[in-house]
Amino acid sequence: MAIRVCRIEDLPPGSRKIVPGGRFGIGVFNRDGDLYALANYCPHAGAPVCLGAVTGTTESAASYHATWVNEGRILRCPWHGWEFDLSTGKSVASPTRRVKTYPVHVESGYIVVKD
Amino acid sequence: MLSKIETIDAAAHPFPRDQEDIRKYMRAPLSHLRFPGLDGYFYPPPADEYRADLAPADGLPGSDPEMMSHQLLSDGKADAVILLPLTRGLLPDIDMATEVCLGTNKWLAEEWLPHDPQHLFGSIRINPADPDRAIEEIERWAPHPQMVQVAVPLQAHQPYGQRRFRPIWECAAHHGLPIAVHADSLGGNEYWPTSVGYPIYYIEYAAQYPVNYIVHLMSLIAEGVFEDIDNLVFVFADGGIDMLFPLIWRLDSDWRALRSVTPWVKRTPVDYLRDHVRFCSQRLEGPLDAAERPQWLESVDAEHLLMYSSNYPSVSIQDPGAFEDAAPLLRERVLSRNAMELYSKLSTPGSG
Repeated sequence: MAIRVCRIEDLPPGSRKIVPGGRFGIGVFNRDGDLYALANYCPHAGAPVCLGAVTGTTESAASYHATWVNEGRILRCPWHGWEFDLSTGKSVASPTRRVKTYPVHVESGYIVVKD
Repeated sequence: MLSKIETIDAAAHPFPRDQEDIRKYMRAPLSHLRFPGLDGYFYPPPADEYRADLAPADGLPGSDPEMMSHQLLSDGKADAVILLPLTRGLLPDIDMATEVCLGTNKWLAEEWLPHDPQHLFGSIRINPADPDRAIEEIERWAPHPQMVQVAVPLQAHQPYGQRRFRPIWECAAHHGLPIAVHADSLGGNEYWPTSVGYPIYYIEYAAQYPVNYIVHLMSLIAEGVFEDIDNLVFVFADGGIDMLFPLIWRLDSDWRALRSVTPWVKRTPVDYLRDHVRFCSQRLEGPLDAAERPQWLESVDAEHLLMYSSNYPSVSIQDPGAFEDAAPLLRERVLSRNAMELYSKLSTPGSG
């Protein structure tokens, strides 16, 4: 079923909103105009993952050299710190573990999530 | 060439007939100074640590190549033996500690290895606190057809993953030599043997000390050593495989959450074990009920991680018969194939 979240201007870039939907609620994120919707449930231990920081992460080409990448594209779980890619829901460390994602689009000026 | 090897003893300890014998293989002026003996323990074993019946009339247990060959090889307990001599611990004088290693290597190469070039193999002792000369020593002995690994003490002033040691491990890996870690004689300036102070009794010390390997292992993983050096293998020769999975589980669990702090660790820690870590069976720790041993061996991944070792001439010398109940494939891998695959010189002696 379709969940009408809010008007697009009420979720400006960099903001988020958690709405009823699914079993645990759904977090809707606006990242530079791109919209993402994820279940508010961490696959690790069931935390409300959508309350976590939207941040970046690190990658490395050799020991002791870390570079900061993907700023604004990583959702960090507020309990244990697991990192998830905002667009795919996949864990950065263990990509086989993922937060459930939902299709999201704009319809007649409203953000709509397909549950 | 050994075409068919049934059993490899991955760790037996040769001793000099007299602990001063190493001195004649050391160079002046250090050979004129005092250095600790083999038994300078904080925790002296209350009973014999080595079997008196394995001593020749004129020497320490495990000090007679003829006797050891007879007892381990001729008696059919093993078809090849890897000798891992001890040195004298973490001596404050780094040059002395290095010189003891150099003397020990010459002693092993002259007094032991020629005794049976087809079946006796050796370990290159180095002092990890002296990286430049450790590398020189590895380079010196790596071409020797019977020197199959590099040996370092379990005790250390810094965990072995730390960056000052990296050139040593790179050199060993370049020559295809694994690193064997084994508790050394305790004559040096060790830190206290547990992170919460000094236990009182020998049994406390003896039971827990080998578990310190996990500090080295976690350090090697967290600092990306295994990620950066593809063919590097660490052999933990004091045993402790029973503790491996409970402890590595903790590392895995935290890594999934905290990966971004050490992004050079690309794999889940447990995934480095089969490629980079082996254990000697040593005392073969295991379940309280011996009937559960076959299942226990499977659950600790002995099939890929464990190598039989006698620990000769210890009083707890282990017989390959200890694996009689194991599943046939696992038994074959533990008794020979794991070691054959790790030490290529075992199947091609003479090729260097």
